[in-house]
Amino acid sequence: MPATELSTVRQSILPRGGDTWQSIAARCLSGTPEGEAVSQLQSWNLHVFMRASGAAGSMRGTNPILPSDVIFIEPPRA
Amino acid sequence: MYDLVIRNGRVVDGSGMPAYNADIALSGNRIAKIGRIAETGRKEIDAEGKVVSPGFIDPHTHFDAQLLWDGYAKPALSHGVTTIVPGNCSLSLAPLRAEFRTKLVGMFNQIEEMPLKAFKEGVVWDWETFSEYITRIRKGLAINVAPLVGHSVIRLWVMGAAAMERTATPEEITAMQGVLRECLDAGAIGLSTSYVDMDEKLQPVPSRYADAAEVEAFASVLGEYGRILQIVPEFYDADLTIARLDQLAEISLKYAIPTTFSPLFVNADNVDAIDRVMRRVDEQFARGARVWPQVQTRPIDISFCFAVPSLLFIRLPGWYRIMRFGTPDQIVAAFKDPATREKLVAESAVYNALWPKLRLRLVQTEANQKYIGMTVGEIAAARATTPIDVMIDLSIEEHLDAHFLAADMGHNCDERVGALLKHPRVHIGASDGGAHILSFSTYGDTGFLFAHYVRELNAMSIESAVKKITSDTASIWGIPDRGLLQQGYIADIVIFDPQTINRGEEKYVQDVPGDGSRYVRDAMGVDTVIVGGGVAWTAVAGYNADTRGQILPGEMQDTRTLVPA
Repeated sequence: MPATELSTVRQSILPRGGDTWQSIAARCLSGTPEGEAVSQLQSWNLHVFMRASGAAGSMRGTNPILPSDVIFIEPPRA
Repeated sequence: MYDLVIRNGRVVDGSGMPAYNADIALSGNRIAKIGRIAETGRKEIDAEGKVVSPGFIDPHTHFDAQLLWDGYAKPALSHGVTTIVPGNCSLSLAPLRAEFRTKLVGMFNQIEEMPLKAFKEGVVWDWETFSEYITRIRKGLAINVAPLVGHSVIRLWVMGAAAMERTATPEEITAMQGVLRECLDAGAIGLSTSYVDMDEKLQPVPSRYADAAEVEAFASVLGEYGRILQIVPEFYDADLTIARLDQLAEISLKYAIPTTFSPLFVNADNVDAIDRVMRRVDEQFARGARVWPQVQTRPIDISFCFAVPSLLFIRLPGWYRIMRFGTPDQIVAAFKDPATREKLVAESAVYNALWPKLRLRLVQTEANQKYIGMTVGEIAAARATTPIDVMIDLSIEEHLDAHFLAADMGHNCDERVGALLKHPRVHIGASDGGAHILSFSTYGDTGFLFAHYVRELNAMSIESAVKKITSDTASIWGIPDRGLLQQGYIADIVIFDPQTINRGEEKYVQDVPGDGSRYVRDAMGVDTVIVGGGVAWTAVAGYNADTRGQILPGEMQDTRTLVPA
């Protein structure tokens, strides 16, 4: 079965190094105003958004996104 | 003359084919003949009325530390488990530089709930490389060990503390690939990684700072060897699990390697999730990918006391913070402080349906012995208070040595779990053997499979059940010469009574280094366990001093190649 014949599932991406909500919004939701796109991404990715930020002084700082995360770029399907 | 002859047994050979009556003769560590054996053996076993099957293979364990003081992986061996896979979930005990020992012990303590004191008093740290660790555990090894190497520890080895902060540079990735090759050459069966686990500071483990390119770089090395990748996905969410298994499928196809993810639970709150995940698994297998979900046989039961952190409380941050970072005296003080207690009680309201059902398992004081076996709800009625107050008050009275059982927490729908276990693309495993030792017994899942799903529910045949935990596992993991009763195969064999095999009652024992305790279950109905042609355990005589466990698949120069399923 080719990949194109896989059933449709909720769309997601794997982050690039240094990705933030803003950079993902610009790349994946380019037709949506940044603030709204970021809010949407955060609401679709509570597993990341609700995560505590990095330890004090860490390189990750306040960005909760880890390089290994799955980031959904659409809401859950019905 | 043969070394050992097993006579009159009912052979369930691991292939899934119908059982048949035959004798089995062993010479050295291999099966010499199956049929009617006229010659005698130096030792003979009468298996009349018993099943004779290949030794069981447990693909998801954390016996890494226990193997340093117990080469039998007790009591797993007595349950018929002849091969274990430690090193899951991105954590292995090697390769490990001395400066990160404390860090790794902290991670094992946090993630696998293994006591710090056991590491302190039970482990002589005399290795750093994977090869040195293998040499260390070989001595006195009675059970076969097919060790994974952990992604998090390879990161620590190459990147040091930066492993817990950032993605790797191209040079670091190349160096990590080299370390993985060294581990595979030294006997590692594959690589494990984790997308969910937190370290002792409740920060993501090092593997979670790796991007997809790093994981692919590892997969390319695994492809050179045809070895497996194990991951822990975000199993609490179906969409995340599906996204992760899609990632695995692409890796499996690109590098022609098997992959497995664990655990996969039946969640009563979201039964549709399992159907969606399994539909995706089926689709990816249809493409030619190998993405094996691991499903455990036992329902989820969790025991706890407040002397050690319990994962049951991880979604109650106020409670968990106190359990994780408080000393016993500080925890008792927090419970006694009215303001803190009020906050804890308020936070615990989300589990108000659970607290009354908890059952008191163990206390130390004479005054509270009368409550043992009662539910917290019943004790609350007797004391004219609330269940949550009972839990707190008993813990104060027992100086935290009051033990509670939360039974049937999930994965307990017989119909759905049974259907999953017999699914051709489900891999039975995820026992977590050797971990979570004060939360639940991780021993006896195989006995439970036969007792509950074969004998009681008739959900699968005994031939299918044996195949699932022997030849299927050997094929998935690329373990050569094991998993089948066939002439020329290594003689890892279990003799058991199909009418009585089961797991015993969970019991609390004190046999962990550092005066530590754990929950275990004795084997029931298992008669004899043979490893590498030698009797390793019998119900009558217990563990045998003649130890023949091997590292599987073994160092490269010793390894016959079997392409994994």
